[in-house]
Amino acid sequence: MNIPLQVAGFLGRSYRGAISFLALIGIWAALARLQAFPAELLPAPDAVLTTFLQSAASGVLGASLGASLGRIAQGFLIGCSLGLLLGASMGVSPAVESLFAPLFNALRQVPIIGWIPLIIVWCGIADLSKIVFIALGAFFPMAINTFEGIRSVPHGYLEVARVFEFGKLRLLGKIVLPGALPSIVTGVRLSLGASWMLVVWSEINTRSAPGIGDMLDSAREGSKMDVVIVCIVVIGAVAFLINELLGQLEAQLQGWKKTSR
Amino acid sequence: MEKLGTLKVNSLSKGFGPKGQGLKVLDDVNLTVEPGEFISIVGQSGCGKTTFLRLVVGLESDYQGEILLDGKRLNGPDLERGVVFQDHRLLPWLTVEKNVGLGLKNAGKGEARRKVQEHIELVGLKGYEKHYPHQLSGGMSQRAAIARALVNRPQILMLDEPLGALDALTRMYMHQELERIWRQEGITMIMVTHDMDEAIFLSDRVVIMSSRPGTIKKIMPVKLARPRDRASIEFARIKEELLEEFHLHTETPFAYSI
Repeated sequence: MNIPLQVAGFLGRSYRGAISFLALIGIWAALARLQAFPAELLPAPDAVLTTFLQSAASGVLGASLGASLGRIAQGFLIGCSLGLLLGASMGVSPAVESLFAPLFNALRQVPIIGWIPLIIVWCGIADLSKIVFIALGAFFPMAINTFEGIRSVPHGYLEVARVFEFGKLRLLGKIVLPGALPSIVTGVRLSLGASWMLVVWSEINTRSAPGIGDMLDSAREGSKMDVVIVCIVVIGAVAFLINELLGQLEAQLQGWKKTSR
Repeated sequence: MEKLGTLKVNSLSKGFGPKGQGLKVLDDVNLTVEPGEFISIVGQSGCGKTTFLRLVVGLESDYQGEILLDGKRLNGPDLERGVVFQDHRLLPWLTVEKNVGLGLKNAGKGEARRKVQEHIELVGLKGYEKHYPHQLSGGMSQRAAIARALVNRPQILMLDEPLGALDALTRMYMHQELERIWRQEGITMIMVTHDMDEAIFLSDRVVIMSSRPGTIKKIMPVKLARPRDRASIEFARIKEELLEEFHLHTETPFAYSI
């Protein structure tokens, strides 16, 4: 293994990725400078940066982001755990599968947004409804991917377990869970992605308390496009970070795969 | 009185499909394997040899007839019977060491480590304990699979075309290794193969099966001194005899040129 080469390769890749960011900012700055659009519709990058620094310093941005992340933490944890539980039980037990799979498959066809009226009527428009909404969005991808992951464990490995007379716990711990892990991690990723999208969405549509979505929508009402762009950039950046962190976790959990690439 | 560790198969039949009444795969198979014997089962693909092996391992059920080990009817898989599959089936998320230790039961930590180490050395994988399966070559993977199957010290080791996926040279080298392990461990080995050289090189007896439904056509003893010489005339004669059973021998084995 050649470490300098790998480092160079990594830097090369990140540099190349940065080019598209810089190009976008460059075009944006050029359009603003040429005044292609009125400044209240398209503020210049430096004006947005100033707004960002101001809202970060005043604590508004931090408070909004914190509130949103708090909702995610609750909704995601509830939805993800329930999804893991249902997916795993359906994956391990054909009896549970035949009991729940039809209902599950019918319900997951409903677009998440379709649940809104019911959730608002039952849970109001305060934090509870947002958390329920996020949990629902996190639940389905987690359940499906856990189920599929368990079912895709190669039959040959299950025979190895039979030959060695594994009990249920060893079978689960040594073969089923490690075999299903890549798919489960994909489930976590999709589920967290859905949570982040839904928290923004629900904050915009049921505005009741601070949150990044609330901040974005009130900025739109006040025609403060610089704040709107700050919010969009922050939302994108957080999603990017979450995805990176999960990618790291994925690589850690599957260390046995790493060197094969 | 039979010796301890004798495997007896009496009029074994097996069908797949509804209630085993569909396609008949095995029909009236009778075989007695002495403890410490090396048996090869050869036949064309589809002759039921793998099904036979899986029945003896206990991975298939619903058969007619009897499979007896020391007079006791076999019931499902048992640590007394190890198996090496054609695809090594090492768990990719475990190191060689952990894979080999997978089958160990009721062994203390120190004892387990000693047994694992012993068997890794037996198959010649010393130094590769911490490697993952994808870092091993095909031959090394199969060695690890053999170690894993032997670590419980089974009475019988079943091998399902264990060397089928290896290149010719590695395979010949593995034949020697397999013979060495067989001698060293003194256990019964039953191997399914379609490689005639492999069968003759390793076996005390070669069981020839015919297809649809699978039956034993002939059992051919190989009475050559070990280690055997693939290039010897006796070896070639037995091979010819074996190929004759498959109608593959050449009528005039000599070509003349002036």
